[in-house]
Amino acid sequence: MENLKAVTQAMGNLDEAKLMNIINDFVSKNPAKGEVLEVIKACQDGMAIVGKLYEEDEYFVSDLVFSGELMTEAINILKPFIGDTSMVKVGSIVLGTVHGDMHDIGKNIFKSMVEAAGFKVYDLGIDQPASAFVEKVKEVKPDIVGLSGVLTLALESMKDTVAEIKEAGLRGNVKIIIGGNPVTKEACERIGADAFTTSAAEGVRICQKWIKV
Amino acid sequence: MNVHRVQQERKQLFEAVYNGIIPRRVPIMANLPIEFCIQYAGLPLAETQWTLDGIEDALDKACKIVGSDYYPFGFMRFPAPLQILGSRGFVMGSNGFIQHPEVTGMEVDEYDDFIKNPYDCILEKILPRLYPELDADPVTRSLIFAKAFKAHYDYQEFFMKIEAKMVQKYGFYTAPKGSLAAVTVPFDFLADFLRGFKGISMDVRRCPQKILEACEAVLPLQIKKGMPKRPSKYGQTFIPLHMGPYLRTSDFEKLYWPTFSKMVQIFSDAGQPCRLFCEHDWMRYLDYLQELPENTRLHFEYGDPKLVKEKLGKKHIISGFYPLTYLKTATKQQCIDKAKELIDVLAPGGKYVFAFDKSPVSLDSVDINNYIAVLEYIVQNTEYASAGELAPAVDKTVDKPAVTKEIPIFKSKYCRTWEEYKKGRPAIIAGLEHVIASKMQNYEDMLFDMISRLM
Ligand code: B12
Repeated sequence: MENLKAVTQAMGNLDEAKLMNIINDFVSKNPAKGEVLEVIKACQDGMAIVGKLYEEDEYFVSDLVFSGELMTEAINILKPFIGDTSMVKVGSIVLGTVHGDMHDIGKNIFKSMVEAAGFKVYDLGIDQPASAFVEKVKEVKPDIVGLSGVLTLALESMKDTVAEIKEAGLRGNVKIIIGGNPVTKEACERIGADAFTTSAAEGVRICQKWIKV
Repeated sequence: MNVHRVQQERKQLFEAVYNGIIPRRVPIMANLPIEFCIQYAGLPLAETQWTLDGIEDALDKACKIVGSDYYPFGFMRFPAPLQILGSRGFVMGSNGFIQHPEVTGMEVDEYDDFIKNPYDCILEKILPRLYPELDADPVTRSLIFAKAFKAHYDYQEFFMKIEAKMVQKYGFYTAPKGSLAAVTVPFDFLADFLRGFKGISMDVRRCPQKILEACEAVLPLQIKKGMPKRPSKYGQTFIPLHMGPYLRTSDFEKLYWPTFSKMVQIFSDAGQPCRLFCEHDWMRYLDYLQELPENTRLHFEYGDPKLVKEKLGKKHIISGFYPLTYLKTATKQQCIDKAKELIDVLAPGGKYVFAFDKSPVSLDSVDINNYIAVLEYIVQNTEYASAGELAPAVDKTVDKPAVTKEIPIFKSKYCRTWEEYKKGRPAIIAGLEHVIASKMQNYEDMLFDMISRLM
């Protein structure tokens, strides 16, 4: 599809009408899976622009939230064309906001981006006790656990959660990534996670590296 | 300690600042949330908010450390009425704090309905969603509401009694009776309980015109909520500002600012100043804040104190900026130095009240000794040489004219004045009307106030 640049740009500009136009037009031609994946990649590149403009104080939190919604909307249109049966998931992630924290905007942005990259996501929701993560990990045996949180106290909850996963003897089976505004390298080490990020796009790259796609 | 004298002194400090006069020293407004006091007294947080057992002692204990000139205790969310109503917008988390999770009380296709009559729409549709116990048949609903009303005022009365005692015992400054109120600006009201953070972010992009109309439509309601019974230049209407910094400046200007500035102006015209809590970073909006009526009280969380003093310090009364997190991580001396640094920037020329950037919510968010040390330092080291003189003021001629003089009229069939009530009810005992009128109006107001606190 020659319009990939336009997709990236429309996403970057948060131009919903334009983006949906291009995408609807595109899927009306019954595209092949490879092409669809390229369009998804173009959307993600657009999200990276959004992130950059956010850092440059051109966009603000409200715009980030909107971008997450746009991304989800785009993916929902594109998903059927990837074909569920032919689609072997590249990996799986148990994702949730840790206990005490009810914020989920960032988590949801990460979710739609990592799903678009072909991961199967088990989303637990917000304010999830450590036990919920442990149970889900036992049940679905994911490759990765993603913990999200934006309150300062979420860092403590992340620590608990990792500790309980360890206690349950599951730590060796999963990679753990933490995300959300307050996470730092130091926090990551203290918590005992394998990686941290304050950018959903970077989070996707880290997960891909782990699964080696 | 002669409490009466202390109280008189504190009164003079605040009245001076509010009148644009240099006070004897920098006054202190240090807020301690009830949750903090409960933890400080070693009481169980969740349980004590329910039972209120030991709260009086807990607050008394907190008074001994607080060193605030202004009455330090904010209001608490009351768990019993919230439980009775099945609240979704305020819920007690597993850690015992009552918090505000994301809720959506109104769908995007309901804007028109809301715009037609906000209060009617709130009572008919929105409240039952935010408080699902109200989503019941009319009989059950009225019984539930009656229970919640009683519970609400039980808690309210309890805290008012304590306030009176503490004020008397420790000589805090409080605003004149009937001159305090709190409200949110129209945009934040829409964001917080009607559309949620997510919903409003969508609407800003997809249907900004509806937001604008809804803000205008809800303005009279917010003004009614925020206008106290007896406006006073020593009282204040507290307005926590929420969404501004999360918007692009162009969206702020178009959607947030118009009804926000109108509202503050209307209170000011009625002789009631506002205290704005500028959550997060408002440095992008200083030119807007500069346009607000003189002596608006601005409390900042983050940003550049120097810039604020330069741009707004002559016109408005500034407070905030002291990073509360510092009290936890820095040494005592560093904490005091930080206070000194801020005072050096913000105190000159008066029009300044010391306050931390935010209140310490949980006990482990501050080191109490540092907290005490900072406030002591301010009491002892911030005397003005020029006390009693007029604070340098703005050049009035550059002031923009008031945005509006007209107070939009609030109307709803669910909130009636005595006159409206009387219309269908001719059989009022002659000669008793004034007595009955004031009683009836009082209950009407109580109900309105309670409902206001639910959103
Ligand atoms: C939106 C918001 C809300 C909304 C939440 C809506 C929702 N559905 O999430 C509402 C209004 C409901 C809300 C409520 C509250 N909030 Co709030 N809120 C915010 C706000 C404005 C933005 C947060 C946000 O969404 N950021 C945007 C997202 C996109 O960023 P992000 O989360 O960092 O995510 C990015 C990356 O980190 C990454 N990512 C995120 N998660 C993950 C996970 C993985 C695995 C990976 C790989 C990546 C990843 O991807 C995202 C995109 O790049 C912040 C202020 C701010 N400027 O941050 C305050 C803020 C977080 N809130 C705060 C507070 C105090 C509260 C309340 C407690 C208030 C109250 N008194 O009730 C309640 C919280 C209740 C609770 N227990 O959680 C404080 C936290 C203070 C602190 N230090 O702990 C803040 C900082 C505001 C402030 N200045 O005081 N809030």
